[in-house]
Amino acid sequence: MFSFERMIKVWDKYSSMYWSGLGYTLLFALAAVVVGMILGLVIASGRMMKSQSRDNEAVKWLKGVVRAVCTAYVEVFRATPMLVQVFIIYYSIGMVLKLPDSSFNRMFWGMVAVGLNSAAYMSEVIRSGIGAVPGGQMEAARCVGMSHWQAMQHVILPQAVRNILPAMCNEFVTIIKETSVLGMVGIVELMFRAQSIAKQTYIFLEPYVIAAILYFIVVFPLSKIISAVERRMSKSVTR
Amino acid sequence: MSHDKLIEVKGLEKHFKHLQVLRGIDIDIYKGDVVAVIGPSGSGKSTFLRCLNLLEEPTGGQIIFEGTDLTDRKTNINQLRQKMGMVFQSFNLFANMTVLQNLTIGPVKVKGMKQADAEKLALELLGRVGLADRADAYPIQLSGGQQQRVAIARALAMQPDVMLFDEPTSALDPEMVHEVLDVIKQLAAEHMTMVIVTHEMGFAREVADRVVFIDQGVIQEQGAPEQFFTNPQNQRLKDFLSKVL
Repeated sequence: MFSFERMIKVWDKYSSMYWSGLGYTLLFALAAVVVGMILGLVIASGRMMKSQSRDNEAVKWLKGVVRAVCTAYVEVFRATPMLVQVFIIYYSIGMVLKLPDSSFNRMFWGMVAVGLNSAAYMSEVIRSGIGAVPGGQMEAARCVGMSHWQAMQHVILPQAVRNILPAMCNEFVTIIKETSVLGMVGIVELMFRAQSIAKQTYIFLEPYVIAAILYFIVVFPLSKIISAVERRMSKSVTR
Repeated sequence: MSHDKLIEVKGLEKHFKHLQVLRGIDIDIYKGDVVAVIGPSGSGKSTFLRCLNLLEEPTGGQIIFEGTDLTDRKTNINQLRQKMGMVFQSFNLFANMTVLQNLTIGPVKVKGMKQADAEKLALELLGRVGLADRADAYPIQLSGGQQQRVAIARALAMQPDVMLFDEPTSALDPEMVHEVLDVIKQLAAEHMTMVIVTHEMGFAREVADRVVFIDQGVIQEQGAPEQFFTNPQNQRLKDFLSKVL
């Protein structure tokens, strides 16, 4: 049964381990978001490549291949559990490269795994953010003589950023929670710390409750702040 | 009015997948012409207009603008579009920019005009459409009629040789229609070459030198407004006019 006193005792003894675990969790989430953002942008651009009727056949074919590869990437990562992805990436890339099993290497591959996963989601966030800008904006920009990229730069992307930023922050919040699977391959983060404390003390409920509380006090205020900012941003556009 | 050919359309065709929208349009547009294009919805009149600046890529025929074949793959379309202003039914002002920025972005980024010169030109044009005091407003803060007048000024800021209007008043509340039509009339008085797709028959009659009736993807009849409206020859045009007049 849950005992509050026991929880306090665990916390008193292991609070520093929890804090550093939480620190790693946030570090992983941040790194994953950065990787996801950059790679997601590349994937989104790949998926949005359109064949123009003026392209020659080879270019059309190449664009088709790029689109298919990027689409496959997104669909595979979204349709398989992240835990499975982490294991596969960890045991394939990490092992094939024969990297020494140091905790730094483990952390690095953990970050890569979460980053690759979040890139799939980020690319969809970016793509739908750009897709939500009305088509007439691009047409109007082309009609004053702008090239496709000038139109993107001056007209489409500044508007898309308003759609993309809040969704990206939400993705960050999601990742904070999802990094908990990294503990399964022995990567140090909050969940891993809770597990090792449980194993050491033979107390199994309270250490996890503490972990849950720590996740909550980070994620809950963060998501509230994001939705407040989101509301304010949408107000300034629709005024 | 001089008689230089500005746009020459020869056998223009457009099909989307298996839907043939334009089935061979031939028309010459001369400098200073004001051409009104009318027709039932789905007749292809908007597609025709959008083909003129290659917003829709024609699937057949030729469009020759100032001596250059637009349908040639080697033609730099961005360069030629600078000389063809376009005004849309739904305004399409750049939502992330002020009115002034909407007018200066094209001249500055595309033509390489100095910012100060572009702003001077923009303010002058805004004065002409009666909106000099709204230069710092965002499009969302303007009424539909005001937005459309800004859109016209934006197109004019590129100092185009021809203006294309795609149903410029169709999305407006009735009381705002005339303020937009007045601006277009003013342009006609200044001999701006214009192609106007419109449902406003009275306006077409008043402002156009030539009215073109498109139905089923071809020009069924064209002529001077008086004769066109009072003595139509084509049976489809007769039916159409009897419904809308």
